[in-house]
Amino acid sequence: MKSERSRLLVLIAAVALVAAWQIPAFAYLKLGTKVGTRTVTLKWSQLPIRYFITDRGVSGVTSTQLQQAVQAAFATWDGVTTATVSSQFAGFTLANPTSGDGATVIGFQNRPDLDRTLGATSFMIDTVTGAIVESDIFFNSSFAWSVSAQGETGFFDLQSIALHEIGHLHGLAHSAMGETELRAGGRRVIAAEAVMFPVAFASGTILGRTLRADDIAGIGDIYPSASYTRETGSISGKVTKSGKGVLGAHVVAFDTRTQTLVGGFSLSDDGSFVIAGLSPGPHVLRVEPLDDGDVESFFDPTLNIDINFRPQFYEKVVVVPQGGGTSGVELKVVAK
Amino acid sequence: MSGAATPKAARRWLVALSLVPLWCAAPTSASAQNYIPQDVPRRGSLVLSGGVNWAPGYDLGSSTANETRNPGSGTGPFVLFQTSTRIESAPGLQGRLGVYLSPTISVEGGGLFSRPDLSVRLTGDAESAPDLTATERLNRFVADGSVLFHLVGASFGGGRGVPFVFGGAGYLRDLHEKNEVADTGHEFHFGGGLHYWFGEGKHRAGLRTEVNVSRRHGGADGADTTRTVPTVAGSFAYLF
Repeated sequence: MKSERSRLLVLIAAVALVAAWQIPAFAYLKLGTKVGTRTVTLKWSQLPIRYFITDRGVSGVTSTQLQQAVQAAFATWDGVTTATVSSQFAGFTLANPTSGDGATVIGFQNRPDLDRTLGATSFMIDTVTGAIVESDIFFNSSFAWSVSAQGETGFFDLQSIALHEIGHLHGLAHSAMGETELRAGGRRVIAAEAVMFPVAFASGTILGRTLRADDIAGIGDIYPSASYTRETGSISGKVTKSGKGVLGAHVVAFDTRTQTLVGGFSLSDDGSFVIAGLSPGPHVLRVEPLDDGDVESFFDPTLNIDINFRPQFYEKVVVVPQGGGTSGVELKVVAK
Repeated sequence: MSGAATPKAARRWLVALSLVPLWCAAPTSASAQNYIPQDVPRRGSLVLSGGVNWAPGYDLGSSTANETRNPGSGTGPFVLFQTSTRIESAPGLQGRLGVYLSPTISVEGGGLFSRPDLSVRLTGDAESAPDLTATERLNRFVADGSVLFHLVGASFGGGRGVPFVFGGAGYLRDLHEKNEVADTGHEFHFGGGLHYWFGEGKHRAGLRTEVNVSRRHGGADGADTTRTVPTVAGSFAYLF
């Protein structure tokens, strides 16, 4: 790809897994990249996002149905009033959904080697600004797909998985807002409260077509609209253990009035965290560790993520101001 | 008339308090043949009062932190934890200034201040986080206005004890801890009470006690919620 700036092709392992090794956790997370010495959030600098659809269907799904499912998923993200994202279908293409051709392409690809991967998103970014210049999504045609309005037993809902992958395309990483259980060969999701949870719901359901509060907070955090700035608030603070910061702790804020869950992670060595996009009003906070199996779904595995502490609640009610933030929260955790 | 309340007078005072709700319902039926001193409050008389109040705690409801369950892994939503929210009981301060429009009607404005705790009981965590009650302290202000009907015909103790009924409306302002966030609302109230004056002159001190039922909308209770909150209060009063 021609560019005055050097660009780096980054394949993000941001995938929807059928039965990956996961544990319960909570939070939205933004994708980031190093630009020089600083870490910047991956996001599109030019909107609407123009995307092409590979003109190739699979058994049970035509390319037109693929385009309609993808368009519906984009429309769901575009409909978030606290975010400014927008998209535009640019047409069908014969190109495969692979990076490096300068076009954002979404389509099926047969990847039997990825026997637990329903779909994946890759990026080409401007390494100077961190802006996304191209993103491609493939859906693994090794699985059975459906676009049925009610879902189809034994088939994965294409629109649901597209909604997840398009979340990545926008710059969202995985949310840990979900629960899993150990089964033979991996883990199965018990429940999730975020489309961006890394483990997909079972085949046959369309529950993944609806964004949750955590997803909405996350997309607004990356692409804030005027109403996001005006109507939502944030909680910030740090997670400490024996006076030292805890890296990689999940902190979830629960609004007792709206009964919504939105989370964040402590993302620095001093345990600092910020949870943004919250509805104004009283919240309670809960913190818990990531287990080993989760780390690579959320963080660089080389990071020193602290998982040796017990889940607990914060002893204060934290009130989120409309259009502002509450800071100075300190969650003191204790070792297991 | 002597200045000290006799045991009999005290008994009547208690009886009068218990009759307040009855007077609210049928004020004309409680009239009594009492001596009414000449210097009853007149048009233009002012009364200043200040004292303490107490409001009981009340529930704001419970909620559950639910996650959407994966089909086939059970029924109903997955409950991560449960909450139960309360405004705790709290004493407060209040002050009022009223003006008599006639011997039986006065209007007044005033304010109440209290510092109740907003508490959230957290239980049933799916991963055994210990149960806990999270709290924060509110600074609760109510600015209100009322119309009072003084039941002079039901006065006792030689006119020193004068029951009254009242009703009015007010503005709520709940400041959350650190005073950075305010929840506002409004309220309507009614109630009954008693003035007991220690004298008969134009200027006199006395006691005021009242029971107030407030129908509140908004505030820290929630923007879309309406609740009934009783308050009892006792004040020193000065008529001039």
